[in-house]
Amino acid sequence: MSSSILTPAGRPDGEPAAVAPQDGGRQRLLPSPVTGQEMVLIVVIALLWLALSLATPAFFTSGSIVPLLVGMTPIALIGVGMTIVIITGGIDVSVGSIVMVCSVIVAQTMVGSGLPLPLAVLLAVAIGGVLGLVNGVLIAYGRVHAIIITFGTLNLFRFIGLQVFGSSTVEGIPRTLNFFGRGEAGRTLGIPHSFVIMLVIAALAWWYLRHTAGGRHFYAIGGDSQAARLAGISVRTRVLMAYVVTGLLAGLASCFVLAQGTSSLAANVGSGLELAVIAAVVIGGTSIIGGRGSVLGTVLGALLVQTVATGVTQLGWRSQLSDLFVGLFILIAVGADLIRQRTRRAS
Amino acid sequence: MSTQTTPGTEPAADSGSTAAEVAGRGESLPGKVLRILLTQRIALLVLLLATVLITMSQLSANNYLSAPYSTSYLAATLINAVPLVMLGLAELLVITSGRGGIDLSVGAIVSLTGMVFGFAYGEWGWSLPAALVLAVVFGGLCGAVNGGLIAYLGFPALITTLATYYGFSSLALVVNDQRPINSQPVQDLYSTASAVSLPFLPDAFPRIPLGVFTFLIPTALVVWLVLARTTYGRRLYAIGTNDVAAEWTGINVARTRFTAYVAAGAISGLVAVVTVAQFASARPDSGVAGNGMALPAITIAVLGGVAITGGIGRVAGVVLATLLIVWLNAGILLAVPGNAGSQLQLFALGVVLIFAALLNGFSNRRYGGTS
Repeated sequence: MSSSILTPAGRPDGEPAAVAPQDGGRQRLLPSPVTGQEMVLIVVIALLWLALSLATPAFFTSGSIVPLLVGMTPIALIGVGMTIVIITGGIDVSVGSIVMVCSVIVAQTMVGSGLPLPLAVLLAVAIGGVLGLVNGVLIAYGRVHAIIITFGTLNLFRFIGLQVFGSSTVEGIPRTLNFFGRGEAGRTLGIPHSFVIMLVIAALAWWYLRHTAGGRHFYAIGGDSQAARLAGISVRTRVLMAYVVTGLLAGLASCFVLAQGTSSLAANVGSGLELAVIAAVVIGGTSIIGGRGSVLGTVLGALLVQTVATGVTQLGWRSQLSDLFVGLFILIAVGADLIRQRTRRAS
Repeated sequence: MSTQTTPGTEPAADSGSTAAEVAGRGESLPGKVLRILLTQRIALLVLLLATVLITMSQLSANNYLSAPYSTSYLAATLINAVPLVMLGLAELLVITSGRGGIDLSVGAIVSLTGMVFGFAYGEWGWSLPAALVLAVVFGGLCGAVNGGLIAYLGFPALITTLATYYGFSSLALVVNDQRPINSQPVQDLYSTASAVSLPFLPDAFPRIPLGVFTFLIPTALVVWLVLARTTYGRRLYAIGTNDVAAEWTGINVARTRFTAYVAAGAISGLVAVVTVAQFASARPDSGVAGNGMALPAITIAVLGGVAITGGIGRVAGVVLATLLIVWLNAGILLAVPGNAGSQLQLFALGVVLIFAALLNGFSNRRYGGTS
């Protein structure tokens, strides 16, 4: 036996919520608005954009930047909700299926009855909210790990979506949702509407999570849900809220997905989206264990993922390579986060 | 390093529900049956499996199904169980290793290893045993990437394997320019996926797919032996239950966890060979097409009673859960033919998984049970 010389690594499973770090001797109540990970992301994105605009003159034109900004909106939008979910220590792998259900129902209703734009958005958001509510109730009140429940609802929602699809595709979708698209109708003064909407929602979420007591509760739950409950936080309601918000945003995102698509919708819409969203959230510096993270990081993460995808295509490389880079960025982001945690603990 | 485990690290899976049994003295027979069903996942799965088989046979006898739900049909559908059981066992190993263990990359490893195997066997003219060994070693190497990052560097498993999922599946697509490999030797492999009639058994015995004997049963046997009969198995349960305590007892936690991920990768390498044989072609997206192979494998593991928090899980549970899903799906396909049937399978999978998970939570609260 060699246990006498062993010291347990003692890695804590849950990082304490980073609420009040000592920052250079100054006592702060909140971490600085832009954390290290986000600063790094901004620099990396800036370098990538610089390199890409030098490598291909076509990159820094509105014909390339606008699709990039519009293309990232569904991932960033769902990412806002996913950030909240992951901050509470949960996860939602069913968002791809939620997008599928919402987009097919909205598409079929538009084909059938010529639904106007506001009603289409309302319908999508309402359906998304209901599906999110299903997740939230099962997770908050079933007391089962979120990944298991959402793996289950992923299959259930996909079943519902396929039932609505009936035949394999929806054809002849009217261009009602062009307001969110990447075409001329989707821009005001050259700025895509969907991007602005995403930014406004992300900014609201950022402010709510950072500067309100309700927002800080999510961090407390992710740090230690037992302690949060004893401190008087209504853990179940907050957890339920996180999944409902994710559902609502997935519903809105499905409108953006429809607007970016063609006049026909295939049954594979939304598949694999959950992994892309989780990747964006993690690259943005949100801890998968819960208790730490920010919406700003997620938006930057989504922008980075979309930049890589655009860049790989424009450089004429094989488009499948972009996934390899996304994987590498995830590992680098998580590695950087681990190093920062260790140095913080050591100091 | 110690070669014996201390009593304190007894895996909860094997000690069963001793606490609940003590508490349950003097209860009535129905109460006892209910407790066993709720706390012993194996018992519940056997009951569900029997329910499915009896219901489907009844429907079949009354001609409600489009084809007979016969033993030969059931045996033929076992070909679907081969990759499912094997990847379920891979997930069993990594989930049991604890600290949020999970492997989302198994499907991507299947794709990439399938391409490597296709090159070796179909293009470079390697012999089948050599190519098979290469597939297992290569799968193990992919698993070692996961294991190294997770066990030694402390990366969270969910995110690490998400990243390697992206990496491996991207490489699999790029390596042969998205084209499948289906040269003659690879196409001839299809015979290994066909059904055989067993020697020494009467002809009336159903023909069982060869893959069950060459891949499924050996893998399940080896994993069972390792988990239930070796020191390594005890160590794995120990680190999954409480890795700080395990480290204090002298177990090399990082190496034990690392080995679990390598083993999961090696099993995925074997599945790659099975998949290539089944499709008679090494397809670059074989393990990630549609919902991929990882999600069903994790579902099977969880349904089989593997605790997502680690330290609890049995081979028999995974095998029974797979049989339940495969034979339920087979019945659904006969009851609701065509597209609607395959959609209903998604529904059934989701409902069974959520039901099992909620039941787990309920029985834990009521009995303080283990699985």
